[in-house]
Amino acid sequence: MTVQTYTFRIQRNMPGQVGAVQSHWQDYQVEAEPNTTILTLLETIKGGQDGSLTFRQSCRSAICGSCAITISGRTRLACKTHVGAVAKDGLVEIAPQKNQPILKDLAIDIRPFFAKVHAIKPYLQDGPESAGKVTSTAYDQVNHVTQCIMCACCYSECTMTEVNPRYTGPAALAKAFRFVSDPREGRKTERLQELSKQDGMWSCARCTLCVDVCPKEVAPMEAIIKLRTRGMGKGFTDAAGPRHALAFHEDINQTGQLNEFTLMMRTLGIFGALKETGMALHLAKKGKIPSPFPHYVDGVEELRRIYQSLERTPVDVETKAKEAVPE
Amino acid sequence: MKSHDLIIVGAGLSGMRAALEGAKAGINVAVVTKVHPLRSHSCAAQGGINAAINPNDKWEVHAYDTVKGSDYIGDEDAIDLMCREAPIIIHEMDRMGTPFSRNDDGDIAQRPFGGASFDRTCYAADRTGQVLLHTLWERLVHSGIHVYEECHVFRLVLASDGHVAGLVVYDIKTGEIFGIRGKGILLATGGYGRVYLSSTNATTNTGDGMAYALRAGSPLGDMEFVQFHPTGLRTSGILVTEGARGEGGYLINAEGERFMGRYAPKKWELASRDVVSRAEQTEILEGRGTNGAIFLDLRHLGREKILDRLPQIRTLALDLEGVDPIDAPIPVRPTVHYSMGGIRTNKYGACPVPGLFAAGEAACVSVHGANRLGGNSLLDTIVFGKITGAHACEYVHGQKLRDFPENTISEEKERVRELKNRPNRGMRPAMLHHQMAEAMNTYCGVYREPKGMATLAGKFPEWRQEYERIHLDDKSDIFNVDLLRAVELRNLLDLGECIIKGALAREESRGAHYRIDFPNRDDANWRKHTLAFWDETSQTVRLEKEEIRTVGNPEYAPKERTY
Repeated sequence: MTVQTYTFRIQRNMPGQVGAVQSHWQDYQVEAEPNTTILTLLETIKGGQDGSLTFRQSCRSAICGSCAITISGRTRLACKTHVGAVAKDGLVEIAPQKNQPILKDLAIDIRPFFAKVHAIKPYLQDGPESAGKVTSTAYDQVNHVTQCIMCACCYSECTMTEVNPRYTGPAALAKAFRFVSDPREGRKTERLQELSKQDGMWSCARCTLCVDVCPKEVAPMEAIIKLRTRGMGKGFTDAAGPRHALAFHEDINQTGQLNEFTLMMRTLGIFGALKETGMALHLAKKGKIPSPFPHYVDGVEELRRIYQSLERTPVDVETKAKEAVPE
Repeated sequence: MKSHDLIIVGAGLSGMRAALEGAKAGINVAVVTKVHPLRSHSCAAQGGINAAINPNDKWEVHAYDTVKGSDYIGDEDAIDLMCREAPIIIHEMDRMGTPFSRNDDGDIAQRPFGGASFDRTCYAADRTGQVLLHTLWERLVHSGIHVYEECHVFRLVLASDGHVAGLVVYDIKTGEIFGIRGKGILLATGGYGRVYLSSTNATTNTGDGMAYALRAGSPLGDMEFVQFHPTGLRTSGILVTEGARGEGGYLINAEGERFMGRYAPKKWELASRDVVSRAEQTEILEGRGTNGAIFLDLRHLGREKILDRLPQIRTLALDLEGVDPIDAPIPVRPTVHYSMGGIRTNKYGACPVPGLFAAGEAACVSVHGANRLGGNSLLDTIVFGKITGAHACEYVHGQKLRDFPENTISEEKERVRELKNRPNRGMRPAMLHHQMAEAMNTYCGVYREPKGMATLAGKFPEWRQEYERIHLDDKSDIFNVDLLRAVELRNLLDLGECIIKGALAREESRGAHYRIDFPNRDDANWRKHTLAFWDETSQTVRLEKEEIRTVGNPEYAPKERTY
């Protein structure tokens, strides 16, 4: 491999008055082979050029979760990201994680993230639903979520957290799934009820970014979808999220096409829908209000047969962790 | 000033397990940790945790293996205690929620590990430490125990009667320096891997607790015994679990020869770690390595077994060496991994300084003696976290808070002020650290020769002078990692000096300590612990010897150690 020069353009953040942060970008030049990790090079800069450059790190082997930062636009673990894989024309842009307050330079305040993890009761509870004996395959479900190292890459990239800071977020929900799927957990139903509430598992917009950025193949969104399925299975359907899902199910099964005209009312209820009148008028003005009358698509009979078959023999949506691939 | 009955420093497996004993006892316990608990280095342990839980195994056999592994210098009372307690804590962790890998019948699965005469290492794939750490953190959250997160201890404070009074703590998030009073203090701060340049350890493993205990007058034991793990990745030193050999992996040299048979004809790759590391180093020194490394070959295990049992190892090899173990052998070499030595305690984790306790890698109880067996460190952390925690809770029950000499706080504030305000004439902390750590690797490694060791020992006064001149680029209060590295560097210098002085004094070869000028074990003179004390007047380390604690079991009598 050949050594080349890279420019690290690093966002420097200094705490200012009452929570405000003053930011500027600073360039550093480093010599490295393409397979050198970003963390190694940050250490090189700190040790040899500028000791004031601040970032968190510890294990260097992608297991402690300290060094997640934004590298070339994506939140990644600095210790497992090769400079050659992320540099564009020799330039690497580095910034702190998103969706969280900044303490200094690349170090963010981790407390809001962990407060949400604490809120889902991240511990096994005794209760009526605890199973006795554990089988050899009992943890196949638990395993992919226990790979989570709480690095917050997913939380940093989460598009829903960006617009709704109260949303529980992918890491905490994946952790919740870890307990819901553990045969030893005694209060699975109680958990599902709690997670069905506002800002919980139904707030995810399924953008899949959390799955893409997770460095440990946890696939938080898959865990969220499984939580939803199990929540509905337990009868927790009286909320906007599950009603929305049921309306989809009903329409596709009946006509093969979504009835968007009635969808909002079925999701939000009459009063909820009335609150959106302004939006409806706005849409009407632009000619975007769909027809209220159901339209049956061609081959709807076949669609219904697919539904019936799936209801008799459900597809196993449970997946194991994906195989790791190099970056 | 804030006060607690018991203050635990460190939130790895030992610290958190000890804290849970505090919650159980209903005392006011708090944890101080320089990183979030889940960032603690216990998470990096991969392979597993030993316990005689199989009906065909016995704790007595586990204890015998451990005594032999320690090269007959472990304290036998503590070893018996640990091995007897092992099955209990495995089932406790299982109930708390650790997802241990299972056999087909649903029992906790066990794999073979080096130096063990039975397959007794319980595991969760190749990330056993991570799942154990997360489980204990879950219980810690459940208990509601107060955690001072991202707070770095700067000093252990004693009262005028010599009893512990509390700590001076630096809040990394704000730069505030404050005192915390405690009736008892338990140090669970882990190892000192960063004394060396090439290490499997996290960059935060700077042995802070050991250095504070030393400076507070509590001696360190057996610091010369530094474990080299046989399989650190060539470039970064990152750990590849012994479980890889436990699952059947081979060690091969550049000629493709599976060489361990020449060194350990019975156990081959699963001989004790000191034996395997020396064999590898010999192969490399005699020219049968490639770029300073030999190879761990997993290819014959097949794709499925690698993906099922060693998935993280495969990813690490891909990410950090660019090698897929399914298709090619992984370049590895002996790498600093574990400190057998540490804060000297009795078998309940109590130190000679009243009110002070230590557990886990920070402590020298000593269950590992001159060489630790794979799978015994996770066990040590949890067993002695529990035992020492319970013992400390009982102790503080009868104690009152001592007067806290407040001048210690102003002294620490002054130390920080002075460090920050130095002119930019000296080195950066990183450069001085590099000099020391590189020399430790060169002169106090797998093989130790007298001339090199003497050169190294002679360097310490120079480095201490240089330390007084280092300068910081970061003058700010908030998240000043530059300052922390400088404070940690003094701790590393103290510990490095204990290691090299111990190694020079111990004129024999035992376990991980191998002297080319004294290649044999000398039980008559050296079946003893080394104690290192801090000498306040000369500002250097001085040594004493201490007898090992035996239990009179004839099985434990020293024999020649073969594998």
